[in-house]
Amino acid sequence: MLNFLLIAFAVTLVYISSAERFRTYAKLIAIQGVLIFTIAMVLLTEVNLGNLIFIAVETLVFKAILVPYFLFKVISKTKVYRVHNKALPSFYGLVLSLCALILSVYMANVLHNEFGSITFMTVCLFTLLVGIILIVTHKLIFSHTIGFLVIENGVFLLSVLIGTEMPLLINIGILLDVFVSVLILTIFANRIGSKFRDMGTENLTTLKH
Amino acid sequence: MILYYFIIAVVLSLSVLFVKNKYYTIIATSLFLLIQSLFTIYVVKNIGLVDLAYFSFDALGAIFLTLLTVISIASFYHGLKYFRNRITHRYFYYHAAFIGLITSITGAYLSNDATLVWILVEATTLTVSVLIYHEKTTYALEATWKYIFLCSIGIAFAYVGILFISLSGKGLSDLSFASIALSVTKVNPLYLKIAFVFVLIGYSTKMELFPMHTVGIDANSVSPTPIAALISTGLVNLGFLSIFRFYIALSSSSIFEWMNRIFILTGVLSLLVAAGYMLKAKHNKRMLAYSTLENMGLVAIAIGLGGQGYYAAILLVILHTLTKSSLFFQMGQVARTLHTFKLDECGGYMKRNPFGSGVLLLGMFVILAIPPSGIFVAEYMIVKSMITTHNWLLLTIVSLLLCFVIYAMSTRFMHILFSKSRIEESSPLVIKVSPWESLTQYIFLLTVISICFYRPPFLTDIISQCIAMLPK
Repeated sequence: MLNFLLIAFAVTLVYISSAERFRTYAKLIAIQGVLIFTIAMVLLTEVNLGNLIFIAVETLVFKAILVPYFLFKVISKTKVYRVHNKALPSFYGLVLSLCALILSVYMANVLHNEFGSITFMTVCLFTLLVGIILIVTHKLIFSHTIGFLVIENGVFLLSVLIGTEMPLLINIGILLDVFVSVLILTIFANRIGSKFRDMGTENLTTLKH
Repeated sequence: MILYYFIIAVVLSLSVLFVKNKYYTIIATSLFLLIQSLFTIYVVKNIGLVDLAYFSFDALGAIFLTLLTVISIASFYHGLKYFRNRITHRYFYYHAAFIGLITSITGAYLSNDATLVWILVEATTLTVSVLIYHEKTTYALEATWKYIFLCSIGIAFAYVGILFISLSGKGLSDLSFASIALSVTKVNPLYLKIAFVFVLIGYSTKMELFPMHTVGIDANSVSPTPIAALISTGLVNLGFLSIFRFYIALSSSSIFEWMNRIFILTGVLSLLVAAGYMLKAKHNKRMLAYSTLENMGLVAIAIGLGGQGYYAAILLVILHTLTKSSLFFQMGQVARTLHTFKLDECGGYMKRNPFGSGVLLLGMFVILAIPPSGIFVAEYMIVKSMITTHNWLLLTIVSLLLCFVIYAMSTRFMHILFSKSRIEESSPLVIKVSPWESLTQYIFLLTVISICFYRPPFLTDIISQCIAMLPK
């Protein structure tokens, strides 16, 4: 069951690396939220009930519903539907993500320990790398936000790995989620979106020298 | 005691937002600074005390807290001057966030737990963003967005670092720095290496160190000068302290030498970037921000060298705090007098404000470590460490890059001071700045200069206590 969920999560990452439409990004973030919720529920059987409810609410309500809802709202408000025409073509994005997957498999084998399986570690590292790739290879602020949300999901998965030993770390991961989602998405939607209509990062290069 | 401090700070900060009265704001902020000062005295007098289990009053925390309190008082005073003749609709947000920022930095300085430090660093991002966005211009929006976005990535990276320390072995009961230090000898060093790199990258957003230095430079260039002074000192020191506490905790592990090499590499790259961009700098505050990057690069190199380098690193951070805050405060006065931060449009400052020009001139000598600057002592120790450890290549690179920095900064300072002024003497734009406004800056700079001649025993003792846990 766990392996199935992890592989499904990895598939969403490969898909996100090659996607070009913002609505697809938002849908994939919602799917990742549901998958993270299920993974946490399968893995965290020894965590106390209060903590478990907190995690369930955060992953399901926040990650799977609220954040994607907000993303759809931003898309409607800014009317920007696709990635920047100067962004890396999706084929190269796919190739890069596969390189990241190979690197993750290698690193997970090297880092293997008693906390989790190689598959779990691979998916965690792959998520972090895909998030970074999205930020580096795309030009629009929306894509950068998606990249950051993917990194967030990777961090959350890593915290789930240690969750049974140190449940506090998951709560802190949740704190990061809430903090960033509220702060970044609010500024993103209300300020940046209305100031720079096409939301390209080239608009954000006035502060030089 | 710290619980009362936090409660009072939160109440005062929120009350400023709700009351929305200018005079109440000044009284509440002054009251907060009084409490901050009393709390600092309490911490200094009770070194060794543990409060609320998660806060330890140690030498490192005490030094940086004292500096923060001193700079905060000066920053509040200059903030009042900054608001003169300005629309004050964001006055209340400014002061509420100001109190919040100082409180969160204080908590982070004194925290003995890696996760709590992380939470409080996150809180500083939130509060300082309000202050960066204060002027609500397009530039401010750009800088705020970059600050929040990059700091959030940095915070996430630092958190990954903490997670890797937790994943390194089953012997870890909690994430206090003491527990980490006890467990690191028994765990997989590869995990520790990954953890250290993530922590270094993550907190470099706050320390204004390579590779995430850009975020602090943009923030410094658009925020009000009293806040830029606070960002480039209090917040930079927080980044340094967060990384240094991890370094101390991991210093008994097998990756100690490796961490030193990483520090030297980061330091050299920071110096390289600082020297390169300083030669191109066309904005006064950006130039000072790159100078922070240069100084933090030297701090990283000093730590990497070890031995006497530790002492030099802490001394350099202390002296840099006093010097850089003075220069930022003075740049505020330059902007009020010459109506610009753009270097090309500056000039004739010596004629307009001779007393303030003295600060710029003195500050230039001090920050460039030209004797009798106290920073010279710290940099001399770093050079001596390079020679005793036979790091000749490093010495050559650092000396060369410092020459570029000295050239870039001195020519720019001279331009501001002595080149022909853009504004005519009879222009209604000419604003006289009171000489008293430069007094705090002279006090700070003369303190730094006095260190060149005399280092008081309490300073030497407290720095020695800070580095006592590190290998000799």
